[in-house]
Amino acid sequence: MNKTNELALDNCIKCSICVTHCPVAKVTDKFAGPKQNGPDLERFRLEEPLAVHPSIEYCSNCKNCEVACPSGVSISTMNCRAKGEYVAKNGAPLRDRLLANVELMGDFARLMPGLVNWGGKVKLFRELAERIFNISADMTLPQYASKTFYELYRENKPPVSAKKVVYFPGCYVTYNTPEVGLALVKVMAHNGVEVLVEEFNCCGVPLIANGLLADAKNNARNNMRKLEKYIDAGYQIVTSCPSCNLALRREYGELFDMEKAHRLAEQVIDVFEYLQVLAENGELKTDFKHLSLTVGYHQPCHLKAVGCGVPSKGILDLVPGVEVNDLDAGCCGLSGSYGFKKEKYAISQEIGRQLFQAVKKKGLNRVITECGMCQLQIHHGTGAEVYHPIQVLAEAYGLGSDIK
Amino acid sequence: MTDKAQVVIIGGGATGTGILRDLALRGISAVLVEQGDLAHGTSSRFHGLLHSGGRYAVKDKEAARECIEENLILCRIAPSCIEPIGGLFVEMQGDDPEYTEKWVSACAEAGINAEETDVQEVLKSNPALSSNITRAFKVPDCAVDGFRILWGNVNSARKHGAKVITYSKVTKIHQENGSVTGVELLNKLTGEKKTIECEMVVNAAGAWAGEVAAMVGLEVNVIKDKGTLLAFNHRMMNKIVNRLRPPGDGDIFVPHGTITILGTTSQTVDSADANKPERQEVLDLLKIGKEMVPEIENFRLVRAFAGVRPLYQPGSSATGRSVSRGFALLDHQQMDGLNGFVSIVGGKFTTFRLMAERTADLVAEKLAVDAPCRTAQEPLTDPVPEELLKRGKKVFGIPGAKKAAERLGDDFARVIEEAEQNAEKRQVFCECEMVSRAEIDFVARDEDCHTLGDIRRKTRMGMGTCQGTFCGYRTLGALNKYEKFARSHREYLSVFLQKRWKGIRPVLWGQQLREAQLALGIYCSLFGMERMK
Amino acid sequence: MMNKKADVLVIGAGLSGLMAAAKAVEQGKKVLLVAKGMGALGLSSGCIDLWGYDIDQPDQVCSRPLQEIDKLIQVNPHHPYARVRDVLEESLDFFRKICAENGSPYLENEGGNWLLPTALGTMRPTYLVPASMAVKSLEEADKILVVGFKGLKDFYPDVLVANLQRNAELKPSCKLEPVLVEVGSEELKPAALAHRLERGEIIDKIVQQVKPLLSPGAVVLFPPVLGSSGGAGMAGRLADELGCPVYEVSNIPPALPGDRLQKTLLHHLKTRGVEVIIGSTVTTAHLEGNRCVKVTVRCLSGTMTISARVFVLATGSFLGGGLEADIEGIKESIFNLPVQIGAEEWSVQEFLDLKGQPFNKFGIAVNDHLQPVDESGQVLVKNLMVTGANLAGCNYPIEKCGNGVALATGYKAGKLVEVVHGE
Repeated sequence: MNKTNELALDNCIKCSICVTHCPVAKVTDKFAGPKQNGPDLERFRLEEPLAVHPSIEYCSNCKNCEVACPSGVSISTMNCRAKGEYVAKNGAPLRDRLLANVELMGDFARLMPGLVNWGGKVKLFRELAERIFNISADMTLPQYASKTFYELYRENKPPVSAKKVVYFPGCYVTYNTPEVGLALVKVMAHNGVEVLVEEFNCCGVPLIANGLLADAKNNARNNMRKLEKYIDAGYQIVTSCPSCNLALRREYGELFDMEKAHRLAEQVIDVFEYLQVLAENGELKTDFKHLSLTVGYHQPCHLKAVGCGVPSKGILDLVPGVEVNDLDAGCCGLSGSYGFKKEKYAISQEIGRQLFQAVKKKGLNRVITECGMCQLQIHHGTGAEVYHPIQVLAEAYGLGSDIK
Repeated sequence: MTDKAQVVIIGGGATGTGILRDLALRGISAVLVEQGDLAHGTSSRFHGLLHSGGRYAVKDKEAARECIEENLILCRIAPSCIEPIGGLFVEMQGDDPEYTEKWVSACAEAGINAEETDVQEVLKSNPALSSNITRAFKVPDCAVDGFRILWGNVNSARKHGAKVITYSKVTKIHQENGSVTGVELLNKLTGEKKTIECEMVVNAAGAWAGEVAAMVGLEVNVIKDKGTLLAFNHRMMNKIVNRLRPPGDGDIFVPHGTITILGTTSQTVDSADANKPERQEVLDLLKIGKEMVPEIENFRLVRAFAGVRPLYQPGSSATGRSVSRGFALLDHQQMDGLNGFVSIVGGKFTTFRLMAERTADLVAEKLAVDAPCRTAQEPLTDPVPEELLKRGKKVFGIPGAKKAAERLGDDFARVIEEAEQNAEKRQVFCECEMVSRAEIDFVARDEDCHTLGDIRRKTRMGMGTCQGTFCGYRTLGALNKYEKFARSHREYLSVFLQKRWKGIRPVLWGQQLREAQLALGIYCSLFGMERMK
Repeated sequence: MMNKKADVLVIGAGLSGLMAAAKAVEQGKKVLLVAKGMGALGLSSGCIDLWGYDIDQPDQVCSRPLQEIDKLIQVNPHHPYARVRDVLEESLDFFRKICAENGSPYLENEGGNWLLPTALGTMRPTYLVPASMAVKSLEEADKILVVGFKGLKDFYPDVLVANLQRNAELKPSCKLEPVLVEVGSEELKPAALAHRLERGEIIDKIVQQVKPLLSPGAVVLFPPVLGSSGGAGMAGRLADELGCPVYEVSNIPPALPGDRLQKTLLHHLKTRGVEVIIGSTVTTAHLEGNRCVKVTVRCLSGTMTISARVFVLATGSFLGGGLEADIEGIKESIFNLPVQIGAEEWSVQEFLDLKGQPFNKFGIAVNDHLQPVDESGQVLVKNLMVTGANLAGCNYPIEKCGNGVALATGYKAGKLVEVVHGE
């Protein structure tokens, strides 16, 4: 493929399927849809790099456009780059820099997680934050754990095994739901696989979504440095977060053109994909207990974008007593930092409505989904308890007690 | 109906409109008559290249000098019609290095600034180009928009009292006692007849000049040379790229706004209307283009198009005053004893202004007007004020505003105003080329605008990736309120789609075939238009 | 590299792929559906065109499409309908059953064609239509009110009105009136408009502006934006509020009826346990002898393989990506099956030629089990079936049979998975 055509710009036949499938454009006129700043303006940007329409600010980076495109156009990448150009020229508000810098927020919160979590629920503080930073006072903030995943991992190291993988936990597991990471470590150990961890940086997706491409690339470089020895040694790199998975598998190559990105992509694997391989080789333990659990399943947009299907489905189907209902109700709307922004909160909730309704209509009070942000939003919109599927599996192996 | 003017100019191409402006600026009353829409002929069917003269430096120094002089003048007077992106001449493996040396010194002699540049740098910023390039030189080539130059001429001329009549064919040229006295016109749209009394007729009909001269029983020998060109879907490089070797087919790539043009072929044809591009010509061009752009087949072609170049050949019976090897100004009083009839033939787009100047000099002399030519000094278009551009960006976005400003010139202000007042008019109708409803609506109201094709030429609506499939339908809908567009939707739309199809057919593979299948899905499956009444 | 396993792998998410998956999963198969993108069904009218015009008198709308297809098979035994005539009726019933179960009923017009207005004001024949588009007795209407929206740039009521007068048989006394309603937005996209209607935000505004223009015997036509999911809910609600019949007409993309049908069928598949992967392209097939064992898939994030016992190729024509044309020629993109061209030129001079553009007919030849065959009739890949626009011999834009062929061939492929696997 030639260089100027690497995003398959020429493949666009202007059919507008991407616009029809854009969850943001469906609920607001403020976003013209992915086609405008994607293949339409990309042709102009070859002459004038600043040819970016300001409505780009409303792109949530959910990637539904690219998944739906019947022509293989890298629409989302075009939009990400366009937003990068736009932010590089016009700057990003401090609020966006804060929200996108998930690690910084996490490191700050871990100094006094109790206080931060309490503060996040005090209306007065939230209103102040809304007034000063334009951070929505209505959106439920993520709860910070008292210890990070890395701390807990060091305290509960898995037994040494000849079979090893590296785990890239991602920020949400690191700071907010370390129990998901622990469940993963235990499930893998139960199957004879030792999970190694490193203190990685944020994968970069929140930065990319906010147009802070240089910062994101910096993170990518740091992570690549840490991953390099594992890539060279042929380790598989397991993720539990679809956005991290997508970043490592796709964005590092597509957006940042990084060396070894191709090999990294081949070695990164979703934890349930990994377990499926075990299952196929007859190596997956099936000593499940009966759970009598009915849950709704929400497929995160970024998992759709990864394109590996729903790997948790095949595994959870093996657990007796677990009934998984595919909600099939589209994007949750939060899209990382997007739904926390004051001017986008209503849009985010409106996008999620269909999903919330599907949960309520089916009378479900437990939902599973792989993405931390989707978990937060579904809980916010429905009050349901939301888990990562690995927690259900840990429960089935008798290794966890997360499921209430 | 009868009108009066000192001069009637036949032919609404670059030369004709250039003469119209020149005469108007000299205070000579003139009417331009065109059989179709302005620029429907050769002036819109070329590379869009404003030559630096480099291409002619070795073969024809005089033509090269004319080019560089005119290039500099046009860049000065019409900056909004020109993209001063610069050109490259590239020598490739197997090309004759001696020719390169000859070319370098020829450029110096002609006054063309040709500066050698680092090949690796060229390849880095133009990755589509072949790594077989051995040497590269920068020259002041520019991309030029033929439509805009023409419209600049016409708008400027109109301001000085000149008139333009389109879609009217000259059916007869009246003469009395060896002098031209007027022309008779037939309006091709309404069937109306009209007479214009005049003292002089200028035959600037380009490829049709022979036919015009025949009306007064004279012979003007124009060789009709068809040149086919290709339009690619996007900018493949950021500079114009010429092959550094004796000029031949398919050796110039011109990045032009959102697209790239590759051309051209050369073939003598019988008729000035023989502008149907053929698949074989496309294949020939691609084969040659591949030498410079090895992955040329992977770039999407949106269409092919062809123009008929009028090359002048002095016939045995005519001995023209050859003012240049590039073009000829024929004074038929001297040559044939017919007073008040002048033909201007040959030449190239780059030198249209010079051709107009020479013609107008002769006309002025004959009319005993001693006003000098001012077209080299008077700006053709006024630059659009920053403040307007800023307002434009608010309603049309950055590229939308920039392109509309370049196309509309002085009228941009009015279009902005309409879009500011009426939010609906901010809609982007042509999403491929970023043409707003406001602009389309404005252009459609022009008295010279009669078909969707006319709107296309004036706005670029329908010239992008989808080739009019979506915007043609929208435009029809929005213009239904104007009676002239509401007569027969079937006809307006199908003629438009058919003309697009003519250029798509020779490049019907890859994505363009998918696009065509989508278009048929829309117009046949969804609309059943093939049976529409 | 990740490998997935299934009984049946359906490649393509257009109508034929969705039908194949629906019929296969009904038989208890483990079905995986992989598609490059959301494909041509979403761009279609959302109606099931079966056969549009009389074979002998091509200017006459055909009154009995099923019988006309019998005739067609006699005169053109290479038409895809000839391969599926045995299941045509049951495939239509199966389709209607699924749609009805999922809240998007499709209506039949007593065995005949519907003749439905389009946004361009033409009348198009079609066989099964979503309830919201099933315009009844337009010829008896005393008034036809065509409602557009200010800001919706792809629908012009006055264009529809002007051409409907020329193209439809209406009562001489029938009044046609266009109206543009304002719902407070400068640029409306169909999906956004549908969403707002569903949220109930703008119904009052529409009713206020439309109702005063109605008179007894009136029919109201809307662009196809009445709700983002299938079913006649929104059209029905507007009809109740306005007190007269309300319908949607077909329009250019992005239009919603095709998209709704695609969503309905996908939802049906997902709730039946079909795993669906959209956005991933099957690039190569791996054959052992004349059987396919697995395919390679390129996802946004890398590559994987999928092995299956039976494969259904439902990747469409050029538009869908099933066929690829370059300067040299045409190939089928995954299995490299021979493409039947059967025409000297790919295209003809008149864009809207009444015989159609030849390239629309290019495709794969199959036997009665929909297995791809070579010129001598020899099966090329035994556990592969080819459906929909992939098939050779049908000029669907002109014949008005695209979704009909897709539906019936997809259904038959799904039905035959066991048979083909056993061969």
